[in-house]
Amino acid sequence: MNVIIVGCGRVGAELALRLSRRGHDVTVIDHIGSSFSHLDPAYRGRTIEAEPLAEGVLEKAGIRQAQALATVTNSDPVNAVVAHVARTVYGVPNVVARNYDPRWRALHEAMGLTSVSSTAWGAQRIEELLERPRLRAVFSAGNGEVELYEVAVPETWVGRTLDALVAGIPCSPVSLTRGGRASLPEPERVLSAGDILHVTATLEGAGRLGRRLEGGEA
Amino acid sequence: MRILIAGGGRTGATLALTLHAQKHEVRLMEHRPNVLAHIHRELPTELIYEGNPNDPRTLEFARIADAQVLVASMSSDAENLSLCFIAHEHFKVPRTIATINDPRFAWLFGPRFHVDVAVNQADILASLIEQELSVGDMMTLLKLRKGSFSLVSETLAKDARAVGRALREVEFPRNAVVCAILRRNDVVIPRGDVRFEAGDEVLALVDEASATELAALFGPAGLSSPSPDSVA
Repeated sequence: MNVIIVGCGRVGAELALRLSRRGHDVTVIDHIGSSFSHLDPAYRGRTIEAEPLAEGVLEKAGIRQAQALATVTNSDPVNAVVAHVARTVYGVPNVVARNYDPRWRALHEAMGLTSVSSTAWGAQRIEELLERPRLRAVFSAGNGEVELYEVAVPETWVGRTLDALVAGIPCSPVSLTRGGRASLPEPERVLSAGDILHVTATLEGAGRLGRRLEGGEA
Repeated sequence: MRILIAGGGRTGATLALTLHAQKHEVRLMEHRPNVLAHIHRELPTELIYEGNPNDPRTLEFARIADAQVLVASMSSDAENLSLCFIAHEHFKVPRTIATINDPRFAWLFGPRFHVDVAVNQADILASLIEQELSVGDMMTLLKLRKGSFSLVSETLAKDARAVGRALREVEFPRNAVVCAILRRNDVVIPRGDVRFEAGDEVLALVDEASATELAALFGPAGLSSPSPDSVA
């Protein structure tokens, strides 16, 4: 796959290394040459020092042959404009923009971009670990609006039903693993020591589930 | 007219002040605290809407939906582009005008981002300066928006080739027409029998190609290109 990455900060450099290790043809553009020092020596792609939005630069980077473009600078409006140009002028099939400052997220939404809020996402992970040590997020859907959590059932809940644990909380139990075997969980199932429960929940649901697991009511 | 301006820098603030004085209904959006402090001293407070103009909530707060014109005059070209796009796409603003800060981005200012009119500040200044440098004392008063014509003014030098000759005797370049002659305190209508005098200020409509020829007629003799027989 031909991939163009716009912006060679920490996110851009990490992404470039990962994609190049998987054998993709990667081109990184940054308007400041010294940014390329973020790149790992193992990176095997091209670098172009140029203003990405100046006329002809994206074409020089091979955008007409690119299957994907990621714009990950630390300027949200620049990411929005680059993504829009990639989609509408050059018809790149897969375009992803980074949302750097959460206050600018609304712009990316208004422009209909596929964007990843790395700052908000990182803060949310840390918040979860601080607030709900018993819930471990193992999968994020969208930008983390719904996540799949792994829950080690605590001693205090042994002998009680799954339904009692989740009743009234916006979440859906998806599997119960006992002795290494997973099954679809029925609500009346009685929890036992060592059970691992997988449950999808919104941020609000996860918060309430975490508090109920700790013994406080939610 | 209801005009919404994004960006309270030098251009945006001056424009807001001018349009407000002409009784237009102006609203100005700005979010940088240092700039806000400045424009609060220059503009009536009710014109100023605090918030990031690229945040749809700020646009709604400033009632973008009833604006007839949006002017994007922020210092970031990417912000001006994305704002024009949202204004047209989401709020159906009928007309958008954007300033271009960096001429390298000029190619993006157009229908792709719903920019109806782009004002390339650096380009305008550069071409004005270039004209001042290249053609004697000829001054460009107005560049017509379509085509390559300009309204220029030139003061006749004492030894200019046109001095002492009647208008009908002068061979003007094909794409040049004299519009008026300012002589002392009068305006002289340029008819065929009017004779040019040194010190006349001539207003002419001229295209780029003819400007140099016109300068050779009106400018000091030294500036006009030497005639073939004088090259020995």
